[in-house]
Amino acid sequence: MTMRPELLIETPRLRLRRFRETDLDAYARINSDAEVTRFLGSGKPISREDTWRQIALFLGHERLRGYSVLAIEDRASGEFLGRSGPWFPQGWPMLEVGWVVDPSRRGQGIATEAGRASIDWCFDQLGVSEVCSIIRTENIPSARVAARLGAKIEGQLPGFFGAPADLWVHRRPN
Amino acid sequence: MGASPAKLIAESPLNPTTCLETPRLRLRPFAESDLDELARWYADPEVMRYIGDGRTLNRAETWRQIATFLGHQELRGFTTLAVEERHSGALVGECGPWFPVGWPVLEVGWLVDPRRQGQGIATEAAGAVVAWCWANLDIAELGSIIHPDNLASARVATRLGATLARRLPNFYGGPADLWLHRRPEAPKVGSSS
Repeated sequence: MTMRPELLIETPRLRLRRFRETDLDAYARINSDAEVTRFLGSGKPISREDTWRQIALFLGHERLRGYSVLAIEDRASGEFLGRSGPWFPQGWPMLEVGWVVDPSRRGQGIATEAGRASIDWCFDQLGVSEVCSIIRTENIPSARVAARLGAKIEGQLPGFFGAPADLWVHRRPN
Repeated sequence: MGASPAKLIAESPLNPTTCLETPRLRLRPFAESDLDELARWYADPEVMRYIGDGRTLNRAETWRQIATFLGHQELRGFTTLAVEERHSGALVGECGPWFPVGWPVLEVGWLVDPRRQGQGIATEAAGAVVAWCWANLDIAELGSIIHPDNLASARVATRLGATLARRLPNFYGGPADLWLHRRPEAPKVGSSS
């Protein structure tokens, strides 16, 4: 294996690090929850097999771009809590930071903390001045996170994977 | 069934920094520069008819497929590779070992540029990959999963010495034939001239 610099983003409570195959069980459990996936991609729960491929896709995205969506881990317990991080595959409208958090850990500010750190990482490490979050219009909890992070709706994506989504934009402070 | 994850015996020539070579071909990791050509094949219904669920892929989906190939390498230590023609450098196909979670067997798959079919490219590339797998992976079975109507690929499997083992009744929503490759025999004393 080639040596690559470690992709690591740390916050007071969280560690964002490269996905590993050992994340499969915990991540597949989150992806099997229809309440989690109703606002993601096709809107349907994601099987264990497709979760494995998604992990492969995240790792391959890093090989192609130098960064990717990362696993969120509880620094104290090492527990897998979800995912966040920079995402910019072919055809994407803008560099995106998204977030998915284990439903049993909702309401603890994890998405906000991981999202904030990921967005700042993009500003600092990639030198960009704007990052988006693409959020289904009916996904109120995620819209609240985006608003808390200071983002504004700057556009609509009427048919994003088959349902309307808002383009929230985070701008680098001057 | 070869359900346990295959382990790489040692650092190998399918390492992302190196590649596998045959007389006419070089097998190497996919790169973003392969996107245009690969997307052209994946958009062709004739090419995709016997692949997965038979659906064509757009350019963005092709990029994700390349990324998934590269991530499979990260997770498994091997993956589907780009097949290029050594003398021209042209991308002419994809071939390599493939074993994502849920796959029935460690598979050697292949796909050839529709304009370059009938030139023995799949047989040459897959022959090298089959030999590499037996030599480098700790596996009991090595297969190729082929749509029953895909006669061209069945011919390649036959030419490689594989035999039709069983039919998978529901693979991506339809039947598929599982071909098994023969493990090479150890050379015997006195067999060389």
